[in-house]
Amino acid sequence: MSQERLTNQDETVSSGENSADPTSEPLVDSAIEVPGKNATSTGRTILRAQSFDVYYDDVQALQDVNIEIPEKQVTAMIGPSGCGKSTFLRSINRMNDLIDAARIEGELYFDSKDVYDEDVDPVALRRKIGMVFQHPNPFPKSIFDNVAYGLRVQDMDVDEQQVVEESLKKAALWDEVKDQLDKSALDLSGGQQQRLCIARAIAVDPEVILMDEPASALDPIATSKIEDLIDDLAEDYTVVIVTHNMQQAARISDKTAVFLTGGELVEFDDTEKIFENPEHQRVEDYITGKFG
Amino acid sequence: MAAETPSWAQQAGQVSRLRGRAFEAICLASTSLALVSVMVLLLFVANDAFRPFEAEPALTFAIPVLPGLELFVVPVVLPAYLLVFGATLGLPVALTALYYYRRDDPAGEVAYATLGLPIVSLLVSAGVLVMFIEVLTVSELFATELALLVAVGAIYGHARLRPRKAVERLAIIIVAPVVALAGLPPAMFNDIVNGIAGLAGVGPVLTTRLFSVRELVLASPFLPVRWVMLLATVTLPVVAIFAPILARRRESREAGLALGGLSMIVAALGLVAAPALGVGSDVWIVVASVTVPPLAVYVEGVVRRREGMAGLAFPLVLIGGALAGWLLVQQVGFGMPDPWLDWGFLTNAHSRFSAEKTGIYPPLVGSVMMLFAIVILIFPVGVGAAIYLEEYAPSQGLAGKFVTLIEINIGNLAGVPSVVYGLLGLALFIRFLSMPVGAIIVGALAVGLLILPIVIISAQEAIRAVPDSHREASYGMGATRWQTIRDVVLPQAFPGILTGTILALGRAIGETAPLLMIGMPAIVRRAPDGFFATGSAMPRQIFRWSKEFDPLYRHGVLAAGVVTLLVVLLIMNGTAIILRNKFQREETA
Ligand SMILES: Nc1ncnc2c1ncn2[C@@H]1O[C@H](COP(=O)(O)OP(=O)(O)OP(=O)(O)O)[C@@H](O)[C@H]1O
Ligand SMILES: [Mg+2]
Repeated sequence: MSQERLTNQDETVSSGENSADPTSEPLVDSAIEVPGKNATSTGRTILRAQSFDVYYDDVQALQDVNIEIPEKQVTAMIGPSGCGKSTFLRSINRMNDLIDAARIEGELYFDSKDVYDEDVDPVALRRKIGMVFQHPNPFPKSIFDNVAYGLRVQDMDVDEQQVVEESLKKAALWDEVKDQLDKSALDLSGGQQQRLCIARAIAVDPEVILMDEPASALDPIATSKIEDLIDDLAEDYTVVIVTHNMQQAARISDKTAVFLTGGELVEFDDTEKIFENPEHQRVEDYITGKFG
Repeated sequence: MAAETPSWAQQAGQVSRLRGRAFEAICLASTSLALVSVMVLLLFVANDAFRPFEAEPALTFAIPVLPGLELFVVPVVLPAYLLVFGATLGLPVALTALYYYRRDDPAGEVAYATLGLPIVSLLVSAGVLVMFIEVLTVSELFATELALLVAVGAIYGHARLRPRKAVERLAIIIVAPVVALAGLPPAMFNDIVNGIAGLAGVGPVLTTRLFSVRELVLASPFLPVRWVMLLATVTLPVVAIFAPILARRRESREAGLALGGLSMIVAALGLVAAPALGVGSDVWIVVASVTVPPLAVYVEGVVRRREGMAGLAFPLVLIGGALAGWLLVQQVGFGMPDPWLDWGFLTNAHSRFSAEKTGIYPPLVGSVMMLFAIVILIFPVGVGAAIYLEEYAPSQGLAGKFVTLIEINIGNLAGVPSVVYGLLGLALFIRFLSMPVGAIIVGALAVGLLILPIVIISAQEAIRAVPDSHREASYGMGATRWQTIRDVVLPQAFPGILTGTILALGRAIGETAPLLMIGMPAIVRRAPDGFFATGSAMPRQIFRWSKEFDPLYRHGVLAAGVVTLLVVLLIMNGTAIILRNKFQREETA
């Protein structure tokens, strides 16, 4: 991915004069070595946080987070309520910019570029890092227009019809809605709506998809559909998912990050390791349900 | 037998229960008092305006209130014509309504809409006709529309040919309408420059300029005949709005084209049919073009859904009943009442000599023009301010405090008495900017400023009602703030904004005090022929009638004026309610 795209001139862009030449800055930690036995869990680091803090006014929500999230894998974030999982997720694509009270310290690299650098346009960043929210939030528009929304706002030069169909197919929704693309998205069931939101997010072909408890409002069947979907998505995309469901994290993720109260990232490792043999006693307590 | 009521099941808290009952009763009483007093007032005014009980022959009888007591006898007059209409119109309408209510619920709604749609269309066409008569000529509108079309064409053409040149596009968006409508430089600009040059003792310096498309069209010797221009300026735009709706719903271009063709034919039919009926062909063309397309789209929808089709019969019952009643009354020779509020009242100006010949036409036109000017002037400002306050303004820190202060003050401004706005209008627009005393535009500005805070607040509320999750979704897709506002926030907030604005306009149309302050004349004999012309407005004229010496003015004419004002108001509020309902239904659907 080129720096130019990230600092793309856009209606709201701050000037990107000092945008670095892609070659001048070395890629950080390409192909880091990841501890663990799982062979699939090796990958280039795409997201990296370094001593990353987030404050809401004076309240610290994240403390000194250091993490390296590998490309094209599923990374799960678990932890008790209020420990800052959503905060971290929203920091990655700078959705926290929308909250006036939020303030960050430290560094957060996407593909070796600090996303909080002056010359990074959050709009351009969000075009690379898509997001799916806890509650399905389709627009009150037709199914087609929902999926095509991103293409339109990003002014993408593609065949809308085709991209919408592909995205809906990837989101395992095509067969259910192919005859009613003109219908309002609000007429769909909750599970369908959430898959529509996923289709909407992948239509613009981001590199990373952030999911904040995407299945928390869904029944087991819809949940399992979404889990299958996430599995498939990891072929092409980097997925970072927040979940409260331990089994879900264990089932679908390659890596797991455990946040604990106070906004600390206590442990980050291969999922198997976290669930079978965590380093920290507190993590084991949390996973086994003794705490949290 | 029955088990004794256990103590826990017995009524708890007798005292507070009693208090609750009393409270409920008081609430009910105030509701009924409010409703009844408004109803009585309306009935009184309507009775004065229409005089429905003053026609010969009539049945008269007396109903004793207390049998045996001669004193308390209520005389009742029932004119014969009323009985006839009751039989041909009232009874069938009541029966159909009952049928809809009992048997076929959706039909009631359909009946309401099929009746309301033509009424609204008729009012719109009346507005268009008045505009042609008083303000604009058809050729001017034709030239303006053609020029706008050229400008829009230029903008679209450029976007097609060079889609990525944002700066160029911005320049064209600004320049094209100016060139098309006003020329380069605009005529007024040349006049001002030459005027200054003249003062300085130099001759006219700017003699050449690029003529606007509009001027060129107007100067063209080949202007089409009037009815062709009417079809092009009135019928075509309406068709252009409704035909695509139908085409999309039926998913066939043919349906849209058919609707377009049908509307054009019905409108053009006016050339032959209108003279035969004794109305002008202009009137026919305008009425047909505004009425046929929306009605056709609505009826098509009802027929396609096969829901409440019986409702379509309602207008027929109504019109048939009225016609039958009228024919019958004519045949038998019963007298009809002579209402104050009749066609003559709507089309005449005030007459000093005869209350019978007095009318409300000039102030009616003035009011409508004022409303029009208010919408043009205030709507963009109000909605713009609301968008800024809700979507852009900072909410934190010192700036955030300042914004809160501004918002509180906007709320306060909404409560400032209207006289103050009149004073502001007088001081600012007439004394300081030396605008003409009593001009429509000054009235519009003063009343517009009065409702501006209401428009801002209601628009803010509508914008606030758009869930944040939709904004987040949009930003999460990589939309800019402007795209989010344009594509997500405004479409959802728009019906709410519209409702609020219409209600505010309802307030505007009844305001009298500011008009008095800015010196609007009480009586004008001719409708204003432009926005800078002196004109009157309905409330101003009504206020004047209330001070006439002749009781015929004070009772009959005044009542007719009030009813006219109220009808305009009710229609506006009704539109607002229908819009809101439609919006809510779409939200839940
Ligand atoms: N908009 C905000 N303003 C102020 N404080 C906030 C805001 N959002 C979150 N916080 C605070 O930040 C901390 C972390 O919140 P966050 O939403 O990230 O938790 P979470 O781990 O996602 O919890 P959950 O599992 O319940 O979703 C909490 O203490 C919360 O009170
Ligand atoms: Mg959360």
